[in-house]
Amino acid sequence: MAILISFDIDGTMEIGDPPGAVTLEMVKTARAKGIITGSCSDRPMSAQRAIWEEYGVEYDFVCYKHLLTDLKTQFEAEEYYHVGDRDDLDRKYAIQAGFGFFWPDEAAKNSLLL
Amino acid sequence: MATEYAPSSMYRSREGMGIWEHRGKVAAVGVGHSPTERRWDERTETSVGAWSIMALRNAIADAGVSPDQVDGIVIVPVTTTGAFWPEDKPLPQDVINAFVQTDDPLDGVAKLSVEWLLKNMPELTNINYSVYAPVCMSNALNVAAQAVGDGLAHTVLVLKAWHNLEGRYYQGGQNAQDAIGGISAIRSLWGAPACYGTALQFAEYCRKYGKNHDMMTPFIINSRRNGLMFPEGYWAQHRPEELTPEDYQLARWIAKPANLFDNDIPIMCAASYLFTTAERAKDMKQKPVYILNHADSYTVPRGLTPTLDEVEAECALTARKIYEGAGITAADLSFENMYDGFTQFHQFHIEGLGYRGIGFGDALDFYQTDISIEGPNPVSPSGGNIGSGRSRFWMHTDSIQQLQGRAGERQITGVKAEIGVSGGPMPLGGNYTVWSATPD
Repeated sequence: MAILISFDIDGTMEIGDPPGAVTLEMVKTARAKGIITGSCSDRPMSAQRAIWEEYGVEYDFVCYKHLLTDLKTQFEAEEYYHVGDRDDLDRKYAIQAGFGFFWPDEAAKNSLLL
Repeated sequence: MATEYAPSSMYRSREGMGIWEHRGKVAAVGVGHSPTERRWDERTETSVGAWSIMALRNAIADAGVSPDQVDGIVIVPVTTTGAFWPEDKPLPQDVINAFVQTDDPLDGVAKLSVEWLLKNMPELTNINYSVYAPVCMSNALNVAAQAVGDGLAHTVLVLKAWHNLEGRYYQGGQNAQDAIGGISAIRSLWGAPACYGTALQFAEYCRKYGKNHDMMTPFIINSRRNGLMFPEGYWAQHRPEELTPEDYQLARWIAKPANLFDNDIPIMCAASYLFTTAERAKDMKQKPVYILNHADSYTVPRGLTPTLDEVEAECALTARKIYEGAGITAADLSFENMYDGFTQFHQFHIEGLGYRGIGFGDALDFYQTDISIEGPNPVSPSGGNIGSGRSRFWMHTDSIQQLQGRAGERQITGVKAEIGVSGGPMPLGGNYTVWSATPD
């Protein structure tokens, strides 16, 4: 079953500003399970690509948060999730796009990332 | 010595005042900056007070004077537009206790007073003139220039500092209260983001002149590029990320047609300049940059948000004041460093100036030409707030450094740096300085 998880960066990932609960190792673990991963952040998309490449973590997509709906059309999956720290941006756009949503600390304890 | 706000008589607010009486007789010499940070980490050494002291000392050292030669200080006491110390948050007592304090515990933490600075800079032993300027460095520069010209002081430090606290900008202060007083009660009632008024003006601009938001792209990319060559700036120091057309054009709207990258990022920082008389400047360490004029825009809009017509009329009026007092024309400008935080201020400012002969409705087409520092028509060589974060002073530092020939990688090369103009913030409500490499 294909699963897609998008990660916000700032406040969500350990490399964000501020740092969040989701580690790069968790992303790698998800990818090892065959999960489609990438980032959906307010950071420039070119900067998102640079971040993944700087840390040597493969990614399937980068995206802006408000474009989660478009992202869904690009990848066929049974389950879509977004992880973020903002109610008015991450959670709102995730719900609008039909994604499941995790707060960073919830995601960090979820078996998908462990 | 009680410090008051500068009287209105210090500003050049009217058209028809003629050449500034101190044209070429006041000079900027020293530049001092603190580092930048996104938010305060609540350490003593990174407090807005500590960084202000650092910027002041850097400006003194840069000018090559001794602290006891400084006899005046002009500062902006407000250090934020949207980050306020929460009422329920304990005061940072360790930080407060690390400095000599005034009666206000947030002095040096979330605001600044001259009294606090002088208590904590004992080397400034000869200050006999001090004054506050509201809001921006742009305003403080006008006051300092006039003070030196009028002989109120001969060697003046000018300071603007910014703090930024944990949490979200514009979510605290009066926006977190149950009631808001004054005009803000109407303006803030609907929770509109800060850029909405400018976005409205820009929407009307696009309709009137047949332009569109994507046409801002070259300006955005150029500004960030210039900012990444500004070692004092936030993006250069912390996130050296260039912007691509895709990055900009797909970003989410904050107030359509203003998107995320049309807004500047709030940061912590401080900057100071040392102003003196042209005569004294000759003996100082850096090349003097002479002030040809300063001008003030103070028109009150008819409504809560100025219309495009009001914006254009005021920018044209401001330009006439700038040129009249400096005794120059648009053709004399080597470069412009008008305000950009929000980006959509910039085209109004430079169209008002008639920079490189453009008129109202022309700027976005002008942006499609070579506006780089290497070309003949450099636009915002500082990169402004978009290039280095919300300070409202990069444009001034860059203007001074360009004319001193020490702008480093940002040095304009397509045209000789001889006369520049900087200022802002708002098209209705701003202060402007004309800088020159020579006194005449």
